[in-house]
This record gives sequence, C-alpha cells and structure tokens, in this order.
Amino acid sequence: MSNYLFIQSQDPFTEVRTEHQFALAGQLFDAGHNVQILLVQNGVIPARQGARSQHLDQLIEWGVPVLADDFSLQQRQISDDDLKDNIAVDSVDSVIDALLDGHKVIWN
Amino acid sequence: MNDRKTLTFAFMDPPFESERTVTFFRLLDAALEKDTHVRVFAYEGAVALAFAKQSPHGNAVHGRNTEEEAHPLTKDWIVALQQKARTKGLNFEWINCGLCVDERGVNDVIEDCGRGGPPDLWRYASQSFNTLTIGTR
Repeated sequence: MSNYLFIQSQDPFTEVRTEHQFALAGQLFDAGHNVQILLVQNGVIPARQGARSQHLDQLIEWGVPVLADDFSLQQRQISDDDLKDNIAVDSVDSVIDALLDGHKVIWN
Repeated sequence: MNDRKTLTFAFMDPPFESERTVTFFRLLDAALEKDTHVRVFAYEGAVALAFAKQSPHGNAVHGRNTEEEAHPLTKDWIVALQQKARTKGLNFEWINCGLCVDERGVNDVIEDCGRGGPPDLWRYASQSFNTLTIGTR
C-alpha cells in the first residue's frame, strides 16, 4: 500500500483531463492505497457548494480526503462556509509534510 | 549531525505567466519553514526566473509609478529564499538547464544560481529524500 497526494491545480470546467486525473485517484483509492487530494489554484473552484463536478463529488462520497489550499480560496473569495461538506481547509504545508513523509506527490 | 532532509523541486514555467509560479515559490518557502534543504532544477522557461536583468516597472494605466506598483520580480523572490535558507542554516541550491538558458539568452543570472543539465536533476533526485516535479500541464 502506498501513500499518494495529488496536488490538483486544474479545474474540471476548463480542463477535460481533470476527469481522468480524478479517475486515477479513485482507482488508487479503490485498490486500497491511501489517497489524498489538495486543491490549489483553480482546482479549488469545484470545492464551492453547488459547483457541479461529478468526479470530485464522487471521490468525496467515497471518503477520499480532500483539502483546499487557503491561499487559493482567499484569492477567489471562497470562505470556509462556501465549501462542500467534507472538504477541509489546509495549505501547501501539507505538500511538504507529505514529501517529508515519503509519500508519492503528484502535480496535476 | 545534520538530520534535516533534502527535497528537490523541478519546475519549468517562465516568470510572469502562470499562477503555478506563485505556488512553486510558496512550496519552496514552506519547505524552508519546515527546516528542509531545498534543491531546484529549473528548465525550459523557468530558467528565466533567476534572470538578473528583470526590471520592475510602473503602471501608467493605473497611474502608479515603479515604487507604487511594486511589481514582484522572481529573481528577488529567489534572493529572499536564499537569505532565508542562510539564516536558518539550510542549503538552497538552484541549477538552471544550460541549453534552456542559451536558447533564451538569459545567461546573466543572479548569484548562487548555477548552470547544469538533466544529469543534475538526476543527481538531485537521487540524493534527495523526495522530489516534486511540477509540469506545465
């Protein structure tokens, strides 16, 4: 079992490849790996309540931990209260923590 | 005995183009905050991040002079990170891909940013505890 952190900078509304990126995260999670997703930059857009992102919503429903970068949220005036349930606010510190813990960190 | 870990970052975005550049520098700063040695391999457009002739400018549209505009320059961010690393007793190494530098004519780089090639990225990654590659897409 491996530990993965996906840094998700692309959003599903402008990048069709996002669907496949979320699919890979889901497949790894389904295979029993520890998977975590950190939304950064425009990647935080589907974190807003009401944003329609079937693939991200599915990951959240499955229990994949999803974090959203505080700086990226602030830039887009998205507050904690605007976020979907089960999305936690974090920062890029979590990337460094994952790297230092030896996790596989992948930039999308 | 220094048991601090080393992280390598590979980055290829040019300055003043993408939000990834800001996130990249935030990551470098966060690594130093966590007392981690940092190595950067800059290739393709990212070699211009350390270009010494970057110059701030005003913004006539908004009626601001150079000082008021305070336009951020990536070369200054690198210097700030170098200083931060020195203050904390950490290593902060930066190598630009030489071929990428020559292509773009950005040979004049700030101090302590070296010139190398893909074997340096291999060496960096091999000797580091972990590596993050930030692609353009």
